[in-house]
Amino acid sequence: MAPVQARRSCGKRVGCTCELCLGDPVTEALQTSNHPTFKIEHRVDSHGRPYQICTNCIMDTTDSKIVFDERGWCDYCNNYYQNILPNWHTDARGEREIWAQVEQIKKDGRGRDHDCLIGLSGGVDSSYLVYLAKVKFGLRPLLYHVDGGWNSQQAVNNIEKLVDGLGLDLFTEVVNWPEMRDLQLAFFKSQVSHIDAPQDMAFFAGLYNFAAKNKVKYILTGANYSTECVREPLEWDYHKSDLRQMKDIHRQHGTIPLKTFPLCGIFRYRLYYRIFKGVRVVKPLNSVPYIKEEAMQELVDKYGWQRYAHKHYESRFTRFYEGYWLPTKFGFDKRRPHFSSVILTGQMSRDEALEKISKPAYDPETIVEDFEYIATKLGITVAELQALHDAPNKTYRDYNNYMPLIELGTTVMQKIGLEHRVLR
Amino acid sequence: MITIVNYGLGNVAAFLNMYKRMNIAARAASSADELIGATRLVLPGVGAFDHAMDLLEGSGMRPSLEQLVEVEKVPLLGVCVGMQMLTQGSDEGAREGLGWIPGRTRAFAASNQAGGLPLPHMGWNDVTPKKGEALFAGLEDDARFYFLHSYYVECADVADRAATAGYGLDFACAVHRENVWGMQFHPEKSHHFGATVLKNFAEL
Amino acid sequence: MLRPRIIPCLLIHQGGLVKTVGFGQPRYVGDPINAVKIFNEKESDELVVLDIDATVNGAEPDFKTIAHLAAECRMPLCYGGGIKTAAQAKRIVGLGVEKVAISSAAVDRPELIAEISAEVGRQSVVVVVDAKKRALRGGYEVWTHNAKRNSKMDAIAFAQQAARQGAGEIVLNSIDRDGKMKGYDLVLAATLRNAIDVPITVLGGAGSLDDIESVIAAVGTVGIAAGSLFVFKGALRAVLINYPAPNVKEELVSSAITKRGQGGVARSSREI
Repeated sequence: MAPVQARRSCGKRVGCTCELCLGDPVTEALQTSNHPTFKIEHRVDSHGRPYQICTNCIMDTTDSKIVFDERGWCDYCNNYYQNILPNWHTDARGEREIWAQVEQIKKDGRGRDHDCLIGLSGGVDSSYLVYLAKVKFGLRPLLYHVDGGWNSQQAVNNIEKLVDGLGLDLFTEVVNWPEMRDLQLAFFKSQVSHIDAPQDMAFFAGLYNFAAKNKVKYILTGANYSTECVREPLEWDYHKSDLRQMKDIHRQHGTIPLKTFPLCGIFRYRLYYRIFKGVRVVKPLNSVPYIKEEAMQELVDKYGWQRYAHKHYESRFTRFYEGYWLPTKFGFDKRRPHFSSVILTGQMSRDEALEKISKPAYDPETIVEDFEYIATKLGITVAELQALHDAPNKTYRDYNNYMPLIELGTTVMQKIGLEHRVLR
Repeated sequence: MITIVNYGLGNVAAFLNMYKRMNIAARAASSADELIGATRLVLPGVGAFDHAMDLLEGSGMRPSLEQLVEVEKVPLLGVCVGMQMLTQGSDEGAREGLGWIPGRTRAFAASNQAGGLPLPHMGWNDVTPKKGEALFAGLEDDARFYFLHSYYVECADVADRAATAGYGLDFACAVHRENVWGMQFHPEKSHHFGATVLKNFAEL
Repeated sequence: MLRPRIIPCLLIHQGGLVKTVGFGQPRYVGDPINAVKIFNEKESDELVVLDIDATVNGAEPDFKTIAHLAAECRMPLCYGGGIKTAAQAKRIVGLGVEKVAISSAAVDRPELIAEISAEVGRQSVVVVVDAKKRALRGGYEVWTHNAKRNSKMDAIAFAQQAARQGAGEIVLNSIDRDGKMKGYDLVLAATLRNAIDVPITVLGGAGSLDDIESVIAAVGTVGIAAGSLFVFKGALRAVLINYPAPNVKEELVSSAITKRGQGGVARSSREI
């Protein structure tokens, strides 16, 4: 297999000894890794900024728009303390608020088989939410799972354990695999960084379309500040719900029509479904104390739930994308915002985060096998996938998009207090 | 390097795959030249004994194998019919075997105790390793593998039995004599149990 | 002790996995490669993959897909669908597949069984018998082409003949029970077990692990294959790959063997 190269943009080669490269723990770890096929080149970020990392969390200048204050704290941290924390209640007030919502859900659900819908991927957030919904709140959820063709064994096990252990009903939407493959391959060919958009789109479009079609009033999601208060920049992971972008990428790089693929644009689900179809979204994990490690252990002990190596690894594709493709092709490591979130919420120390992020996000023991599996599933050769990896990167701006409109919407939401996170 | 002898029979790809996933270097050899430098040999095989022996002869690799195994004492593992080929001959056919394990390959159907049991012996069965047999390190308490065969090896020397299994009668499902090992079951199709013994063989 | 083999049976239709009811109404279940990978990780005993289009369309087996599926299996894989010649069988075995299955082809030309057997060995030849109850007169007939053509042959007699001709395993598939998840046809299973002396596998009707246990209790150490059970979950028949964990399987087998010992069920000489 030809050497796989991790590219960073200063174009310098392995063994570069500029001050930016020395002391970059990710780079050093990759350099000393025994794996025969990985090399790394080094870079400064694309705006010629010197490398800087937040002194409070671990977000750094791989987010090219990050802003630091005089303490060296980034704007994610400042936003957390100024905007998120004051509006986040997991104490008695939080309990009161969520119970009021729960009572309403129960009331509105009388006479129906289920009173709410929960999208379940098998990951810890949605799993814990299901557990809370049934055991703590006494709700009668219908569990909704989208099978995009990439489920890991742990994911299906975890869903099964929750269905059986909690005695709940499950509905699965199986995405037409040839269509998913075609759309995913189109995204690979487009060279943008947000290639998990097809899976994301299928998951939430499936969920929302189902809700609207079946007149479901309440969707419960596992969204939470506890592990997601720092969100990855759009530069890394552009809006998955920008249908204009998705259609343009597919038009340019896809080969078969998307006849059954679940699609739902940002305006449809944020405006039309909510205003005209009355679909409400509730986020219970923000109203109770949610400590990820404890939540996982509880699920393991009570239901035989299986742990994942990292967040989002219930999908084999996402594991490859976040663990390997994104960091080595673009220099974006999603563990930064994930770890930074739990640093801010007190579940991980900064030192621990730095130590963890110094190791590659992918498993060097299995990466060759994983790379082959991805190529096989996509219907291309390893060499072809390699070539896609090595081609020059593009951004969402290279394709049609609704960004100006979405930005306007985000600003409005932030101004009227419906959105507290930094989204850029 | 571990070398899978590719003489035309047996799931060569499965062995290569198993080793690849364990990050242990392995290759296949289809000619005498390609056997040069082998540090371990795996001799796979399915189907009929005579057919297997004929194909091995026809491959032109037999003299090299004999040199490597008998003279240079390179460790060799025979799997399924590959293990049967290690014996002196089989009830199934007329050819002589490689003769590295004294004994013969017998038919289950002929054995009184096994009479009446469905044949081939097909499925997962428990394996009892001989104490201290390095091939089964890590599986002392729970060893089971997938079997798919109608003939079994009868060792002339009981000391050569590395493990036994039961199907009507107790029979040697693994053998070991000097640098020659054999497994009647399919390690390449026995999940983590098989992966363990293949890894052990690589690291002997 | 030789254990009963619990075997997921997957059907491929137009490249995707499907599940049928009474051999009709194919419902899309997803990508075959990922499903096989999950069954492998769950350490399934074996796997059967049948391409239900190939024979009907007169198409060759999809060798590329077969190779990919075989690469994901660290357990024995049996492939069936569109195999008409010993050369095709040999090629498939060469891709890493342990057993090849033939069905209609064995009905059309029984000599094929012996031909394939000579090429790859009896242990690798499986004959799948799709059986449907004969109206009025009792007994079962062999149907082919996804239960659309009645061969009029007696299913048990055909199975016996196939075994004589070189089949190393007979898979008996109950068309009546297919997809209904209401239990196996135990009478058919027992009749077959007593009639032939090669390994058998029963397929069709599993609705729960209890159904699998019932087969073992009734018939002994055989193969028990299931499609719907391992692919659907719950009252809404949501697609979710599942397979009993090793400890659950152990308990199931122990419990069945105990029942078998107690139940005074007729034992054949074909018992350990």
